[in-house]
Amino acid sequence: MKYLLAMLALALATTCAATDVRPLDASQVSALLAAPAKGERLIALWSLDCSYCEANLQALSRLHKAHPDRIELVIVATDPIAARDSIAQRLHRAGMDGFQARAYAEDVPDHLNYLLDPTWGGEMPHVLVVRSDGSRRGISGLLNATVLQQLEP
Amino acid sequence: MTTEFRSEGASPALPWPVGGMADVVRRRCLRLRSMHRAGGFVFAALLALVALPATAHDAAMSKEGGAPLGASAAFDPQGHLWMVDAKDGHVWLRRSDDLGRHFAEPIAVNADAEPIYAEGENRPKLAFGPDGEVYVSWSQPRAQPYTGFVRFARSLDGGAHFSAPLTVHHDAAEITHRFDALAVDGHGRVVVAWIDKRDLNAAKDAGQPYLGAAVYYSWSDDRGAHFAPERKLADQSCECCRIALAQTPDGNIAAFFRAIYDDNVRDHAYAVLGLGANPSSAERATFSNWQIAGCPHHGPGLAISHDGVRHAVWYEASQGPALWYGQLDPGHPAKRTLQFASAGASHADVAAQDRHVWLVWNQMDAKGYTLMLRESLDGGANFQPPRALAESVAAVGSPQLLMRQGKTYVAWNTTTGFRLLPTNEEAP
Repeated sequence: MKYLLAMLALALATTCAATDVRPLDASQVSALLAAPAKGERLIALWSLDCSYCEANLQALSRLHKAHPDRIELVIVATDPIAARDSIAQRLHRAGMDGFQARAYAEDVPDHLNYLLDPTWGGEMPHVLVVRSDGSRRGISGLLNATVLQQLEP
Repeated sequence: MTTEFRSEGASPALPWPVGGMADVVRRRCLRLRSMHRAGGFVFAALLALVALPATAHDAAMSKEGGAPLGASAAFDPQGHLWMVDAKDGHVWLRRSDDLGRHFAEPIAVNADAEPIYAEGENRPKLAFGPDGEVYVSWSQPRAQPYTGFVRFARSLDGGAHFSAPLTVHHDAAEITHRFDALAVDGHGRVVVAWIDKRDLNAAKDAGQPYLGAAVYYSWSDDRGAHFAPERKLADQSCECCRIALAQTPDGNIAAFFRAIYDDNVRDHAYAVLGLGANPSSAERATFSNWQIAGCPHHGPGLAISHDGVRHAVWYEASQGPALWYGQLDPGHPAKRTLQFASAGASHADVAAQDRHVWLVWNQMDAKGYTLMLRESLDGGANFQPPRALAESVAAVGSPQLLMRQGKTYVAWNTTTGFRLLPTNEEAP
């Protein structure tokens, strides 16, 4: 019973401490896509209604954990920023607290999709890889072991 | 997403949206603290933990303010334009007698507010019966993420009054039954098809592999008063793409939908829906071999001409985003295939009348959307160059081709207003 109480107290404390989800608008896309000084930036695009996305986020989180100095992980929800509390809760439940988290702050989400990756049709999940040499790559769908290996910095 | 919380909050009967999530979290946290002091900590904590995900989902599904984008339009047999959309927990029905320039005051299809999916591929649907019946369907989000019930209401007095909404499927499990598609067959029967996860859940429980969801359907022989027990059309369908329905020349309803083959190859299947004693059998009808373990959010379109040619449009991204036209030959690759759009293109629709075929789609570029049109005058053998019909810097919904008295229009809903565009400069 003590264990249960402790777990509940912990869960409660973290439930009430939400990740700060910040808006992403068109004017911020070029900075997000700029080449990082070292390693790579992984921009993980997901949405609340995508049942495949949390597994992808968790895989990228593990990759980040293995290379914390070489990988910058930015989590971008394509849901409107008005849903920031739902987004924060879902991230928390998926064990994704502590990362930079953004949500779309544009009236036209497809426009942001296009600016982020014009070769992307909006399918989810989608990961943008921006390397320090300026090269970019977009990957749609659940990341398998082979692709995850390619993402090693 | 496998967490299986049960919810005490977010009753589907509540007005929607329920309110700001920040307030909900704050209220629940405050309530917990006071209950803790009162010695009810365990109970309160449990209550909060099971209740939070429900409201999270509801808030996420709502657009805060602004015009709703998830809308459908249709002409009635007399040529009046009607549209349905959803806002504040109601499906709203509007009629226009001047081709969309003005609409009458909206009528609430559901008197009691309930959550309604009205975005992207999940939007309210509208169809007319042969005797002027107005049929409306929609998907109702349930408490858990990705769940829903398919809802239906009818009006037998030209839209003045609607029946109390009913749930089309007999399965009452709190799982996915959503992405409803609605059609009326040549005998006046109301047909509804949707995406359903009961078989996925059964497979999970049995420890069996199962990809995606299933397509189920039902029908009504009594003008929408009752629906037959649902039937499964196909296992392992895509879980997030709209289903296209079209009438065949002999009055049946055919379905064209994104299915899953092998290891997450998301091609499409075609089937004529068997009603009554007739069985159904879905056959693979596209062979793009696009493999993705993910949500394309991109369903196909279908129109069947009087000569039985199955004109279809679909999206795939095996070599980058591509919209395709083809004539379905179920069991075999489609004929007369044409990639008519690429990057930035989405949500195509198709219509056909005799030898005339129309294709429309949304084309995004750095400036905004363009509504594009291509036409064929020889039954889809050759298409004229693409034409821009309209532009929008505001968000848009999927375009819909509508036929009226020999003329073809495109219904295009934008956040700055609904537009009905003739495909032909001489129209109306």
